[in-house]
Amino acid sequence: MTTLITKTVTKICLPLVILFSISLLLAGHNNPGGGFIGGVMFASVIALTYVAFGLDYIKSFFNPDWGNWFGFGLLLAALTAFSAIAFSHNFFRSAVEFVHLPFFGEIELVSAGLFDIGVYFVVIGGLLSIFKNVGDDE
Amino acid sequence: MISLSTHIPIILIATPILVAALMILLRKQPGIQKVLSVAVSFVMLILSVILLSQVWSGGIQAYEVGEWGKYGIILVADLLSSGMVVLTSFVSFLSLIYSLDYIERKSLSASYYPLFSLLVAGLNGSFLTGDIFNLFVFFELLLLSSCGLVIANEQGGVTKSSDKMEATFKYLVLNMLSSIVMLIAVSSLYATTGTLNMADISVKLSAMSAAGTLPWYVFAIALMFVVVFGNKAAIFPLHYWLPDVHPTAPSPISAMLSGVLIKVGAYGMLRVFFLIFIDTLDIFKPVIMYLALATIVVGAISAVAQTDVKRLLAYSSVSQIGYVFLGISFGSIYGITAALVYLANHAVAKSMLFLTSGGIIHHAGTRDMRKMGGMVDSAPLMSLLFLVGAMSIAGMPPLGGFIAKLSLFDAGIGEQYYFAIGIALFFAIFTLFYMFRAMLLMFWGEKRDVEKYGEYSHHGTSLLMTLPIVVLALTVVAFGIYAEPLIALANATAHQILDPQPYIDAVLMRVVR
Repeated sequence: MTTLITKTVTKICLPLVILFSISLLLAGHNNPGGGFIGGVMFASVIALTYVAFGLDYIKSFFNPDWGNWFGFGLLLAALTAFSAIAFSHNFFRSAVEFVHLPFFGEIELVSAGLFDIGVYFVVIGGLLSIFKNVGDDE
Repeated sequence: MISLSTHIPIILIATPILVAALMILLRKQPGIQKVLSVAVSFVMLILSVILLSQVWSGGIQAYEVGEWGKYGIILVADLLSSGMVVLTSFVSFLSLIYSLDYIERKSLSASYYPLFSLLVAGLNGSFLTGDIFNLFVFFELLLLSSCGLVIANEQGGVTKSSDKMEATFKYLVLNMLSSIVMLIAVSSLYATTGTLNMADISVKLSAMSAAGTLPWYVFAIALMFVVVFGNKAAIFPLHYWLPDVHPTAPSPISAMLSGVLIKVGAYGMLRVFFLIFIDTLDIFKPVIMYLALATIVVGAISAVAQTDVKRLLAYSSVSQIGYVFLGISFGSIYGITAALVYLANHAVAKSMLFLTSGGIIHHAGTRDMRKMGGMVDSAPLMSLLFLVGAMSIAGMPPLGGFIAKLSLFDAGIGEQYYFAIGIALFFAIFTLFYMFRAMLLMFWGEKRDVEKYGEYSHHGTSLLMTLPIVVLALTVVAFGIYAEPLIALANATAHQILDPQPYIDAVLMRVVR
């Protein structure tokens, strides 16, 4: 798989796909997209670089503990959901705020977005830790 | 500020998930993990008891998650679900304490605590949810987390890793199949009624039934639910995964699986059939009854021939869950009361037996009963505790199992199911036989073949391993000697199950935002 074509395509794809996954993450809630889809997309492009350049080569300079990403995401999602109780609402109740920004126009800020970011990290961490553990020879 | 007590149902589900996240991040600090998970488990036990007492005094509680009005997911705590949650919290708290010394250090700090927390979250969620698709989601959660836990290694490594993999594979494949069946059943139910809320489905189906327009495929859907819950509870034609999975899991996880997880099937049967499919029950009661009888027979006969102590206990679980389903299939108040009493007694006694067998295996270094013998001298406490558990499962008088079997048979005779009771009674004697056989093989006489198999190891059971077993043993004795509170609770629960109107009112008569 490590031909020159794959490597070049991967190099071009990597930033584009990551940016697109973030845009999917932010588009979520009311439009198609969301944390799960964005996370899968991010995980797939990292998996592509693992395949194209080899796990050991990538690990020599970029070796995060994906399990911790999973834990962090789950923590963020759970805390977001719990925070509604602190404001004497029911669990998972989302707060909505409309903000007017120059250039962007009206933006809807939803606390469910934080939950979505948590899901994003859970999906990335879960998929990539499985991928890395299965791909490792040890 | 609204008092925290109204939030207890969701706290019982969400706290384990939060703790699982913390445990993943704290993998490098085993000390903090240990203290935190035990403390949280204890708090959960207290909260679940508070929930039960609230439901007992104040009636059914409904909790709207996310305040989405009629489109949202509802959590419902009635006596059945809060009682099951108390049982789960009790067994999981004791199993967690036991596993601190029992599970190998490396697996303990790597993935054990987060998976255990997620398993508890899945169990509490499936008991408390009032939404049938949500029930499916929690089934998946508890299936996947229990798969991870089956692979965890115990100290000493009695079970081969390849055995664990084989068992997990069977467990995953069969349960995934049943998940697909459940998904089809849930979506067909949604296509029929246009709602996923169990109370709402119940109202719509009974309206259809009253108008005489109940579609024929509702019966097919009900049959699919029999398959799904039968698979979870390991009912006769679907029990093949259980005798592989429960013995290969480390003992505290076997205690969770046999004690609580197979009861999810019985819970689902009680909830779904007595709330949603009341009109199909006339057809399915005999089906459930004959499946239950077949389960009793197959489980008991298979248990007699086992030489592996945990495999024997697993087959015994198959046989005993048959008794629970027999009680459910009577469908009367007394029958369901007896089934619930049986369920609680079996949960406590069987998890205790699995924990005790963990201590025995730790001491003997093998699971094969033929290589043991004479253990009453070297591990007297374990043999006493095993005796208590075994006699309770067999139904001997001073212990909890006696009350359970007595009320079950009394209910059956009162309903004139003489044939069913005859079979159940005959195979109850089998239970006594295989339990005594295990006792004789392990504890009586001399250590067999000292030259060939060597002496017993000097691994005793530590205090942290003994304490949970002793607490469970005291509970077993208490259920036998002072059974009135349990029976009163089970009786009230049975009344609630057979009269679903308060449940429906509690869910549907809410102030909609």
